[in-house]
Amino acid sequence: MENCKQKHLAKEDSSEVLPALIKVITAHEVAGFDAVKQQDCVNDGFNSNCLHPSDSSIVGTETVGVEGENDLSNSQKMHFVSISMPPSPVGVHLHNTKMGLVGYNDEAILGYDIMGFAVTSKNDRQTKFYSQPILKGHVLNEAIASGRNPNNLDLPPKNPRFDVLEDKRFDYFKTWSGKLERQISNLRGKHRDTEQELETHRPAEIEILPADRYFDALEGPELDTLRASEEILLPKDKKWPFLLRFPISSFGICLGVSSHAIMWKALATSASTRFLHVNLDINLVLWCVSVALVAFVSFIYCLKVIFYFEAVRREYYHPVRVNFFFAPWIALLFLALGVPPSVSKKLHTSLWYILMTPVFCLELKIYGQWMSGGQQRLSKVANPSNHLSIVGNFLGALLGASMGIKEGPIFFFAVGLAHYIVLFVTLYQRLPTNEILPKEPHPVFFLFVAAPSVASLAWARIQGSFDHGARIAYFIALFLYFSLAVRVNFFRGFRFSLAWWAYTFPMTGAAIATIRYSIVVTNIVTKSLTVVLCAVATLTVASLLVITIIHAFVLDDLFPNDVAIAISQTRPKPTRKWYHGRNGSSDNKNCKKFLQCSNSDGKDIEAASVLKDVENNHSKGLRC
Amino acid sequence: METQKSQPEIQLAVSTDEPSATSTTPTAHSLSTTTPVHRSLSLSPILTRIHAGYFRITLSLSCQALLCKILLQPNNHNSGITFHVSQFLYSTILNILWSFAFCILVLFSVLYALRCFFRFNLVKKEFLHHVGVNYLFAPWISWLLLLESSPFVSPKHNFFIIFWWVFALPVLILDIKIYGQWFTKGKRILTAVANPTSQLSVIGNLVGSRAAAKMGWREVSVFLFSLGIVHYLVLFVTLYQRLSGGDRIPAMLRPVFFLFFAAPSMASLAWYSISGSFDTGSKMLFFLSLFLFTSLICRPGLFKKAMRKFSIAWWAYSYPITMLALASTRYAQEVNGGIPHAIRLILSALSVLVLFALLVFTALNTKMLLPDDDPILVPSLPILSLRTE
Repeated sequence: MENCKQKHLAKEDSSEVLPALIKVITAHEVAGFDAVKQQDCVNDGFNSNCLHPSDSSIVGTETVGVEGENDLSNSQKMHFVSISMPPSPVGVHLHNTKMGLVGYNDEAILGYDIMGFAVTSKNDRQTKFYSQPILKGHVLNEAIASGRNPNNLDLPPKNPRFDVLEDKRFDYFKTWSGKLERQISNLRGKHRDTEQELETHRPAEIEILPADRYFDALEGPELDTLRASEEILLPKDKKWPFLLRFPISSFGICLGVSSHAIMWKALATSASTRFLHVNLDINLVLWCVSVALVAFVSFIYCLKVIFYFEAVRREYYHPVRVNFFFAPWIALLFLALGVPPSVSKKLHTSLWYILMTPVFCLELKIYGQWMSGGQQRLSKVANPSNHLSIVGNFLGALLGASMGIKEGPIFFFAVGLAHYIVLFVTLYQRLPTNEILPKEPHPVFFLFVAAPSVASLAWARIQGSFDHGARIAYFIALFLYFSLAVRVNFFRGFRFSLAWWAYTFPMTGAAIATIRYSIVVTNIVTKSLTVVLCAVATLTVASLLVITIIHAFVLDDLFPNDVAIAISQTRPKPTRKWYHGRNGSSDNKNCKKFLQCSNSDGKDIEAASVLKDVENNHSKGLRC
Repeated sequence: METQKSQPEIQLAVSTDEPSATSTTPTAHSLSTTTPVHRSLSLSPILTRIHAGYFRITLSLSCQALLCKILLQPNNHNSGITFHVSQFLYSTILNILWSFAFCILVLFSVLYALRCFFRFNLVKKEFLHHVGVNYLFAPWISWLLLLESSPFVSPKHNFFIIFWWVFALPVLILDIKIYGQWFTKGKRILTAVANPTSQLSVIGNLVGSRAAAKMGWREVSVFLFSLGIVHYLVLFVTLYQRLSGGDRIPAMLRPVFFLFFAAPSMASLAWYSISGSFDTGSKMLFFLSLFLFTSLICRPGLFKKAMRKFSIAWWAYSYPITMLALASTRYAQEVNGGIPHAIRLILSALSVLVLFALLVFTALNTKMLLPDDDPILVPSLPILSLRTE
């Protein structure tokens, strides 16, 4: 009870202080937020909370803005709350709270319960994010102490604080929980006083998200859409750092463009397509563009590996994205296959060994997992993107055979063929245990065409001629292509993603196989088929290019928040609402009201009254 | 643990008529022996506990004899693959090894025949077990391999032909029974019973095919080969899919995963014998088995649980490596070069090493050779609910 009283007192105290505070807040609210989205508005509202000078009579130590929640509404809730806390790690205390009362044994914290809601609805892992406020207090106090008028701080300077706020949440995804970045920034001479505060963090445990978790939390043909009941570790409403939004499926662009270089080379050099009079320069231009693309995308992804290794790890455990780890090597193989004659006539055989070693190692891991590794059972995780892991084998065989290597190509062909049979049967079966296969046709199904067409090319090269084995594979590819092409009307209504570029290379592969076939069987049918398939491939790539440019520059959502890597370790309890801590439903309603009020206008008085409401409700049902 | 507390109670209730069966480790397997065991008769426990899985030893030995015969043959026209040993040394080594394998095989065959005679119900239960049934192929495979590697019987000899029929016919009969069950019988369909040891049936067909090819009987050879390959294809896909979720075999039997690369090696050898040269098909099968071998070697954690205690299942490590070494020998013979010879050397050395190690371990652990809780001796438990150890 005493605590309650104290809280009341404190609250009153703070309510006296509040008007001034809130003025500051609203000023800030208005200042930079007009041009910014609502979410940012709210978050900056936190920051303005933080600008509250640390002379609060409540505790007299620091002010801390309530840490950002993952949910917009939570942050809105905290919008008007000034919270003062002693500088103790919130995380530790939060564990002890029963109701969500931040367990400072004495201090009245107005919005504590709100924070508590947010906190207790998350699992323990995420509470560690909550020790951040102290840092903010430091930084903000510094800012205030340095005499800068908070009112005059406008958006750009605020952003660093915003980043500081957000950094902590993204830290989990950074390499060594952000230590690497801190090391680098330390090296650059920036003083960060986060060091001591970080001691209070629990060391980030390296946990492996089981495949089931991905299936539970995500849905969609590429397993990248969050289910409604799930939560993610990072804020849904804010734009994450670019590196975090850069998925590995971006290598799909490299695949699409580099396979085109090969196609134009084949068109220009094959005997049966002489009548088209294709210039070899097209191949040269496309090849140079592909080289640039591959270099660029690899560079960015390397940066991601360096700075956000945890995110990369999570992508590796993702059942669909793991196959895209083959994509860089496949792109390099394409480049080697499509090298213009003017650049190099013959490539050195050591290049083949260098390129195939990572493919081999990845294969060992992934096929071994299919056979014997725990949860990643093929019957459960098989999806058309697995074809990417198979195609690498056939491409390696093709490249090796073109270079004149004898045994290595057969090795990879054999391995690829055996596992392709397994995968093909499994996907065709559409087992009931397989939840991931899209129910309706999706561009990902075009990957079905990739493996047989490249296998036919490889076998033809190994055997020296386009013999029966190659023809069988080629006809299978052709059949699959047609059966998908006649259903093209159904490939609508899907959200565009960069992975779609990866689905274009099978079309190009089929076109190249057709060119090769037409060399052997030259008649009007094969020639027209060649022309048609090449035209379709070119058209697809061109339209994808246009769509990509639209998304990149006009719609600005080429790299949306990559929710697939940010899923939480455990499923949130379905009965709890996210804003509902352990309070009764009446509090929920009040919270709702509070939210609505805060959303609508955010006037001081109203806020204060609502706060009072909340306070009262809490004092009722509370442990005092 | 609660289960352990409850088990002795159950055990006491049932074991009234089998006082000797109560062992120190309360396991559910002890419930299975319903026939009274008399301690006085020393043969009886052996007959009760020995099962077809013990033929792994004979498989390894006969396969090693075959490898020895091929590798060390001094008058082989392609001397590039053989280690140069004198005729005397060669025949000595081969004779000793072959005789040893022969004796062990005869011993086990006699014991198993006695078991069939005296404990036929146990043999029947073995037949109904989804792992045990596959080991019924093991004796015949061992005999066939021994026949092939014998130093004094050539494949064209009548003796060889007669014995081939004696050993291959049971394989065919078992084939018809088991493969037929896979796709017809409701309870024992493939998706329910498939496990890595099912590849033994495939190996049986392939060994028979190879022996037939050696005899010059082309059609029979191709017949058996196609039978083996088709079922291998089905089995390969099924095993990779792992439909059932979780292994169908207990952790102690993890060494049988080595059968994954034994089957393609044997297929490669059989195709080599059929087609006469190590052509692309054989090469592809050999490469596949090499890849699977590498893949398993890189996953030592898979076998950790099985390696805690010595069991007869450890012998399952030996013969697949020997078969792979055999295939690599043929490969090195075909493709002369540094790497093929290096692979052959490494694999042959490994197979000899593993065999020796296993012999030593077996000699040191003779009393653990007939354990109570062998997973195959669980005839009373239904097929699908094997508890994992």
